[in-house]
Amino acid sequence: MGAPLELAWVEDHGRACVRISGGDSNGAITEYLAMATSELARTLPVFATELVDDDAGRRVPAVLANQLQATAGEYHADDDGITFVPRFPFLAGRSYSVLVGGLGAGTALSIELPAAAGGPTTTVASVHPSDGSVPRNLLRCYVGFSAPMSEGDAARCVHLVDASGDVIAGALLEMDPELWDPDRRRLTVLLDPGRIKRGLAPHREAGYPLQEGERFALVVDGGMRDARGHPLAEGARRDYDVGPDVRRRVDPKDWQVTSPRTGTRMPLVVGFDRSLDRALLDHCLAVVRGDSGVVRGTIGVRSGERTWTFVPDAPWAGVDHHLVVDPILEDVCGNSVRRVFDRELADREQDPVTSTVVTREFRPV
Amino acid sequence: MAEHGLQVGTPELVSVGSIAFGPDDVLFVADTTRATVLAIDVADESADAEAGTSNAFDLDDLGAKLAAFLGCADDDVAVRDLAVHPRTGNVYLSVMRGRGDEAIPVLVRIDRRNAELSELSLTDVAFSELEITSAPAHDDERTDVQLGHGPDAEKFEFNGISIFLTRPHIRSATVTDMAYVDGELIVAGMSNEEFSSTLRRIPFPFTGEHADTQLEIFHVSHGMWETASPIRTFVPYQNGASILASYTCTPLVQFTLDAIKPNTIAKGHTVAEFGFGNQPLDMVSFHKDGEEYLLVAHSRHPLTKVACRDIDVQPALTEPHEPEGVPRDELDVPGVVKLASLDDAHVLTLQRDDAGGRHLRSLKTASL
Repeated sequence: MGAPLELAWVEDHGRACVRISGGDSNGAITEYLAMATSELARTLPVFATELVDDDAGRRVPAVLANQLQATAGEYHADDDGITFVPRFPFLAGRSYSVLVGGLGAGTALSIELPAAAGGPTTTVASVHPSDGSVPRNLLRCYVGFSAPMSEGDAARCVHLVDASGDVIAGALLEMDPELWDPDRRRLTVLLDPGRIKRGLAPHREAGYPLQEGERFALVVDGGMRDARGHPLAEGARRDYDVGPDVRRRVDPKDWQVTSPRTGTRMPLVVGFDRSLDRALLDHCLAVVRGDSGVVRGTIGVRSGERTWTFVPDAPWAGVDHHLVVDPILEDVCGNSVRRVFDRELADREQDPVTSTVVTREFRPV
Repeated sequence: MAEHGLQVGTPELVSVGSIAFGPDDVLFVADTTRATVLAIDVADESADAEAGTSNAFDLDDLGAKLAAFLGCADDDVAVRDLAVHPRTGNVYLSVMRGRGDEAIPVLVRIDRRNAELSELSLTDVAFSELEITSAPAHDDERTDVQLGHGPDAEKFEFNGISIFLTRPHIRSATVTDMAYVDGELIVAGMSNEEFSSTLRRIPFPFTGEHADTQLEIFHVSHGMWETASPIRTFVPYQNGASILASYTCTPLVQFTLDAIKPNTIAKGHTVAEFGFGNQPLDMVSFHKDGEEYLLVAHSRHPLTKVACRDIDVQPALTEPHEPEGVPRDELDVPGVVKLASLDDAHVLTLQRDDAGGRHLRSLKTASL
């Protein structure tokens, strides 16, 4: 009897593969080298397994009994061993077993793929709204991260907590799939709209998730994993006061537009009557010069999303300009230029607006 | 597959979400990250399911089997959707394997006859795809420009100048559900920014043009409030003439497909509400004794059965009362998260048990 079978990690086909060998030419591997691929799949099936310590202190697979399905992949035999190339790359930090002899009668050999190098570095870069006070009927928050994140942790790791630190149960809407931006760096967090909309059963039964006059916080648990699988370097928290409901359309007529000075690149400053949605502010407002079209420049948002600034690339001309507003622009409660979030049918003031764009005129002075 | 406008190639699937079967061997697959819908020829070589025969299909420990097949742990496998091939009865799953940088989209086929798992290879398959947005790709520099001549730009004029407004943010839409009805793919979507309800009717074969119709659907609560809300899941019934949809804010709302025309605002008819802390997860229709019924799976409530004839006669909810709306039967089938029609006599369910195990189980429609 030669050396027993052993497992090792090798790099092949651009990924980590399991190498099954027998130590020497008389090793136990010999009997497998001549086998056809289909037979190898039966006699040396590979499994993803959790490892536990047995009575003798050896690392053994936790469960094999119900794993009647082998890992997809190909077997490549050469002179002194067999390489298993997985169809889907093995995952860092997981353990894998080869059941020598096949299902039922087999003896398990196990090996662990080391966890990804490096430690936690990703942080929460922003939480919006950034104002310290939000309306009771707050609908949407955003959590920005310093690096791309993994999906699937939001319900476990993002919560609203009350003044005594208890999680406000059922406040947030669980989304599957979660709502991420394409770079997976910004998570959209919705408060359960059923509890905010008047007339719906969740609202009648459980009421608003937030209470006017009371404080709460949005909390991001440090266990949320980034795209490399590492937890955050630290959790994050933003505290808020709760103010009265806001149930009016966003009306650009209520904004304060401060005209810049002709011949300068002073910012155009637009002050809103309330905090608006941070993400939509990036692309729902634009400046058009009456005689020549779009003005290029740089957008800024500040003062708890109550102020929007625009610095033109070229100095302002002393002609009529228009601030163009896409009517999908919403406040933090989901009221848009077009409609109130939950419109009261009897109140004609809340009737929706149908125009495709809304403009405010100004003229640099 | 030429008649469906498919061409052989290798689609670059980045993520998988909803799936739904269309005509012949066409499987529609939503790539939520790319905001794209693909039509893929699955070339299912299994024999046709025998007419008139019907067998239940059950597969215990699906989660563990998928994990083993995909070489990962159980919680590395997210089953996004479930569909049954109408001709062969084989079961298809859209699965995300792994997380973050390691996440891989996989379409898995389960052979109805022997429960064997295989991967639906996307190398050199007949397919076509359609971006469900008019937006530039996310590496396109134009994304920070909000005014321009995009294919879907809205035109407005003042002082004699025409300005075209495009809405690049729509690329952040995700697909929440899809169904194929009579030459059209119906796609419910949700944005990660604005809160509204968009339902698209996309003619198939895909023309490559943005011929789809986008509609907003409102629902009215107790005759007093009217809101827009994204559709979470929906099911066509009455051969696609009617749609029952659930919203993120939970009511079940009925509307007819006929009522949904371009440039109109459709108003749905709220037929039931399920209360706090519950989300409808999936719906399916089935026939029993010549009558059509719908099954609704919920995050918290038991599986619910509703008769379509009751939906059609249910007056719009106008007064708050319990229980809300249309009569329904609660069934003792716990943990159902996905539903699909298996054949004339069975509904296939994906169930999650208390220990987190996932199983495929058939329900006999005659006993529902």
